Amino acid sequence: MHTFYVTLKYTAVTLWSMFVIAPFLWALSTSFKDFNSVTSGATYIPWVDFEPTLEGWRVLLRSPAQGGVNIVEPYLNSIFVTCFASLISIALGTLAAYALSRFTFKAGFIRNDDITFFFISQRIMPPVVLAIPFFIMLGKLGLLDTLFGLVMVYVVLLMPIAVWIMVDFFNKVPIEIDETALIDGCNPYQAFYKVVLPNSIPGMVVAGLFCMIFGWTDFFFAFILTFTEVQLLPVAIVSLNSSITPWWSLSAAALVSVAPLIVVAFIVERYLSKGNLSGALK
Amino acid sequence: MAQIKLQNIAHSYNANAKDKKYALKPFDMTWVDGGRYAILGPSGCGKSTMLNIMSGIVTPSEGHLLFDGVDVTEKTTSERNIAQVFQFPVIYGTMTVHDNLAFPLVCRGYDKSFIKAKVSEVAEALSLENFLSQSARKLTADQKQLISLGRGLVRDNVAAVLMDEPLTVIDPDLKFRLRRKLKEINQKYKSTLIYVTHDQNEAMTFAENIIVMDDGEIVQIGSPAELFDRPKTTFVGYFIGAPAMNFFGCKAVNSNTINFNGTEITTTTDLNGIKNKDLKLGIRSEYIRFSDVVGENTIHASIESVDDWGNHKLVTADFDGNIIKIKVKRETEVPTDRAFLMLPAHHCCVYDNEILV
Repeated sequence: MHTFYVTLKYTAVTLWSMFVIAPFLWALSTSFKDFNSVTSGATYIPWVDFEPTLEGWRVLLRSPAQGGVNIVEPYLNSIFVTCFASLISIALGTLAAYALSRFTFKAGFIRNDDITFFFISQRIMPPVVLAIPFFIMLGKLGLLDTLFGLVMVYVVLLMPIAVWIMVDFFNKVPIEIDETALIDGCNPYQAFYKVVLPNSIPGMVVAGLFCMIFGWTDFFFAFILTFTEVQLLPVAIVSLNSSITPWWSLSAAALVSVAPLIVVAFIVERYLSKGNLSGALK
Repeated sequence: MAQIKLQNIAHSYNANAKDKKYALKPFDMTWVDGGRYAILGPSGCGKSTMLNIMSGIVTPSEGHLLFDGVDVTEKTTSERNIAQVFQFPVIYGTMTVHDNLAFPLVCRGYDKSFIKAKVSEVAEALSLENFLSQSARKLTADQKQLISLGRGLVRDNVAAVLMDEPLTVIDPDLKFRLRRKLKEINQKYKSTLIYVTHDQNEAMTFAENIIVMDDGEIVQIGSPAELFDRPKTTFVGYFIGAPAMNFFGCKAVNSNTINFNGTEITTTTDLNGIKNKDLKLGIRSEYIRFSDVVGENTIHASIESVDDWGNHKLVTADFDGNIIKIKVKRETEVPTDRAFLMLPAHHCCVYDNEILV
């Protein structure tokens, strides 16, 4: 009976892994194909079914003048915008979340939970509702088509995620730890950054991961708020498309764009799997 | 170290509401410098609120708090220089054991050599010296609680060490040793220790003075012996002692005699001036004795059951519907059917409206 369950478990895991890995493998093999290998029926094994070529990858590095689409600059832009916006969101979100978790706010009928919900509600609205106001505001500020403008918009979009995750995290951190720090001689600010903050790193890492995923994959705002000067990766990838869909270079670009998230996920995984999320205070 | 005075202190968690409900009703109290106190009472009686008011976590809605005559009611927790240990271990998980113990001294800017000496002294006292370089997070629950305790003890000039049921998570053997250790520390450093618990044995074995609380009020303050012999209210009589004190309805007859179910019982209580004729007689099961003959203060009761509690026997007797518990030594011969029970006059407490006369 025991072996039966073990077999079942491993079969399920294997099937699921194949399901997850297959698209990546398919994209990887397609990125080394040329027009003929893609359009003349399915081909699978390099050197047997088709002759591999690096053309799909070369297109990504060539300048438009040479008939390519340079994704290096959009790539760096995306890294800059995502990292900066995530950092600001985590910093502000953590402070806001700590205040919402530890202090009581009252304004009319509004209480802490309502304020937390207000933050989250920014993500409930369909993005298109925000697009026009953002466009007009950035236009008035002269920040359309700039990296700084994008960072500002992304902070607005990412901070609710950070606040949401961190409020939940701080609520699980017993208030006694703050009180103990006060008794041990800290003032409230020291209690926060000497004691509570170091214990909150796992929560901040998780919030950061979510911010990076949402920031990195956003296409909608990157598309609407930029024109010619600044381009982010998702927009650059879409602009690869032409009358004849270049599956090889699209596949290469897709793999390149997923890579940073995979790296981040591997780094963060240890925080997720160690069960450190609860704050490890008890 | 300081004398702590609570002046007309009261606290309500909804102080501005119309139906204001007190978590702690107005009272005065002075904690003598270097004393060893236990606050005893059922859950929700205001014990922790009182502690939090002294440490500054809670600002009282009424009254003043004085440390050596200086009003500290509005002062922050860190300015009060007090140590507090909570029910569950609170450790700084990202620091080593050493850094945890050193933290209160580091925060207050003591120099390194002093901190080092003090930390090793406390670590040795709490048998933590082998764990100093380990991450505090990796220790067991009782070791973590020792760290919490240690952080309270590294500063030997604290006004008081407040402990809110600190030994709950610690296993019984270590509990006993720790209580003794706390007593030693109290004697060595002469620091005031205030210990909140709902376990009467813990309170009795630890404290010189016990404060019994109920429903936001201090019911009685006294030594373990006083609480046991002369409970000020029937609540204290029920709450302290195992089994609880025996209580029976009775009527006053003259200045020192009551009528208990037709039998006259002499007490040492002065009953002059008691208008209410319906009183209660309270007597500890430990003080009731079997008697061979009818004499003064004896009642004739039937024996219902005898339970062997190991080191003693607990006899249940029935005196015309009044159930009487009697605790006797294991070797005492207990009559099988009916017996004369002697209620010594000086152990008979009389209660008028649940309060000791």
